[in-house]
Amino acid sequence: MTDASTPSIVRKLIDQQLNFVAHGLQLKDDDNLWDLGMTSLTCLGLMLSIEETFDVELPEEVLKESTFRTVASITEAVDAALEGVLAER
Amino acid sequence: MVSESAERPQQAELVIVGNGALGLFLAQELTERGAGSIAIVGPSTSETGASRAAGAMLGCFGETTTESLRTDASRVRFELGVAAHDRWPAVLDGLEEFSRTGRPLLSAPDTHVVLNSIGGELDTVNYQAIRAALDEYDKPWQEVDPHDIPGFNPRLDTRSLSTMHLPTEGAVDARGVMEALERKLRAAGVSFVDATVSRLVSSDDVVTGVELEDGRVIEGQNVVVAAGIQSEALVRTVSEDIDLVPTFPGLGFAMIARRSGGDPFRSVVRTPNRGFACGLHVVPQGGGLEYYGATNRLVDTISGVTWMADVRFLAQYSMQQLDERAASHEVLRWLSGNRPVTLDGFPLIGWLPPAGLYLMTGTYRDGFHCAPLLAEHVANELQGKPGIIDPMFSPTREPIATRTVEWSINEYVEHNLAAWFETGAEAAPQMTTPQLTEYYRTRCVQLYDQLNIDYALGPDILWYTQGSLRGARRVSRYLRKHGGTSTPRPETARVGSGDAR
Ligand SMILES: Cc1cc2nc3c(=O)[nH]c(=O)nc-3n(C[C@H](O)[C@H](O)[C@H](O)COP(=O)(O)OP(=O)(O)OC[C@H]3O[C@@H](n4cnc5c(N)ncnc54)[C@H](O)[C@@H]3O)c2cc1C
Repeated sequence: MTDASTPSIVRKLIDQQLNFVAHGLQLKDDDNLWDLGMTSLTCLGLMLSIEETFDVELPEEVLKESTFRTVASITEAVDAALEGVLAER
Repeated sequence: MVSESAERPQQAELVIVGNGALGLFLAQELTERGAGSIAIVGPSTSETGASRAAGAMLGCFGETTTESLRTDASRVRFELGVAAHDRWPAVLDGLEEFSRTGRPLLSAPDTHVVLNSIGGELDTVNYQAIRAALDEYDKPWQEVDPHDIPGFNPRLDTRSLSTMHLPTEGAVDARGVMEALERKLRAAGVSFVDATVSRLVSSDDVVTGVELEDGRVIEGQNVVVAAGIQSEALVRTVSEDIDLVPTFPGLGFAMIARRSGGDPFRSVVRTPNRGFACGLHVVPQGGGLEYYGATNRLVDTISGVTWMADVRFLAQYSMQQLDERAASHEVLRWLSGNRPVTLDGFPLIGWLPPAGLYLMTGTYRDGFHCAPLLAEHVANELQGKPGIIDPMFSPTREPIATRTVEWSINEYVEHNLAAWFETGAEAAPQMTTPQLTEYYRTRCVQLYDQLNIDYALGPDILWYTQGSLRGARRVSRYLRKHGGTSTPRPETARVGSGDAR
């Protein structure tokens, strides 16, 4: 079975943008994506795919480059948004 | 002046939200027709509004670009300007007696359009487009010697390559016109409510009035939202489900300066529209004052701030391209305002689904000029008469398509190159124009890929979208719902496939 935890999905989405696996790179949770080839446009695509995949709307305050720095920071933002959605229900 | 208490009606037949050019001209049109009571609601400071920051060039031909007449939809839009232009002599006749500026409201009767070499190829093609449009519409123009333009004194390195005179296209004093209009409307019994509307009030899908920030309600049989860039948010207070074409704030900066010496400008002197913006221009204001404008920057949030970069841009290029002596002019006022920019670039004019609610906005860079014409149209619609402009501008339309993605990419490249050269890029062997072209092209192709849309955007919206996560999200969400499905982009859009147009 595939791992459906937030960090694992986040990794997959990052990989769609930055193609680390094909290049044999093991991405750590606190690796800085901006040092590993992320650009404003890949960040934009990552943000859109994250929102679509998790079916969440990230709050405007977190729509900034620092949110998309690491697997950990993205996971944190996504989990917070997911909790917000649950709280509303 | 009417007293404060009399200024606050609880009811009016028509409530106009917004005290900019669109709201005031609409009120004038209706009072002249003897229509019923009108309340105009808007803060007297108008901080983030566009009208009081406008250069108020009465320009339609001076604004022409290669895009203006390329499609039927753009032509309809262009002809709004042509028709609006004819309204202005009568408008000014009716306002002059209410003006207290001591100067004519028509601050310049004519325009010189200058082609210089700094704005890139975009300037040249737009300059040619202006001429072609003038000829097509049989309007007068003449090639002139730039040395004969009063006030025009650019630095040698940006001297004019060609200059044309448009004898019938001038500018008005925007701030003088707004004051005169308000005075005239007050005299005609229109109520001005110095307040901000916090939400529209409705019951059973009918809009019945507006609620002010202090909680008071003003009831109206009809409500017209003409609140400029704030309009979309206001409409959303009645229902999130109204499917409006999105609008974005086009923050603009301009300055009014007192001339300290040398020959004053006596006409509008401007470049063609260029590099995402409305071209550099000077508009004489009378009394030794000159308006220098203007920047245009699509932003996430509505504000009245001024960017340091925009101050530099305007000051430096005014000295360089218009008049060297501007360096010692005294800046009397800094103006900033938000143009209401729509996703497809066309205005939003029409009734909305909740009965009793009408929207007029989305006028971008010529709303001042078009206001009297739009007022006539909206007054007709409010009175149940046939409108005078095409119904295609309905606010809940599908976005109007005027270009292919490939075309849009080329336009984006051209605008970036124009901005690049205007802002002073130096020649370097490792960065030639074709390389720059390829850089912007690659970036734009990648942007379309990431947005996953096939609706082709204008260069200004693209520029905003590539630099703003919020903007990108709004654009992509809206377009995935409307004509921007995830179908693949046309075959023609490929990285590095040749030169820009
Ligand atoms: C720097 C600059 C230069 C320009 N130059 C030209 C030009 O040369 N020629 C030309 O034709 N056009 C020009 N324009 C564009 C033109 O100014 C606009 O298209 C036009 O003024 C829009 O008018 P409006 O009445 O729709 O909006 P606005 O002028 O923005 O007026 C809206 C009003 O609504 C009020 N309001 C907002 N929210 C609320 C609320 N909740 N409740 C009550 N009131 C509210 C605001 O205070 C504001 O006064 C320029 C714009 C800028 C910024």
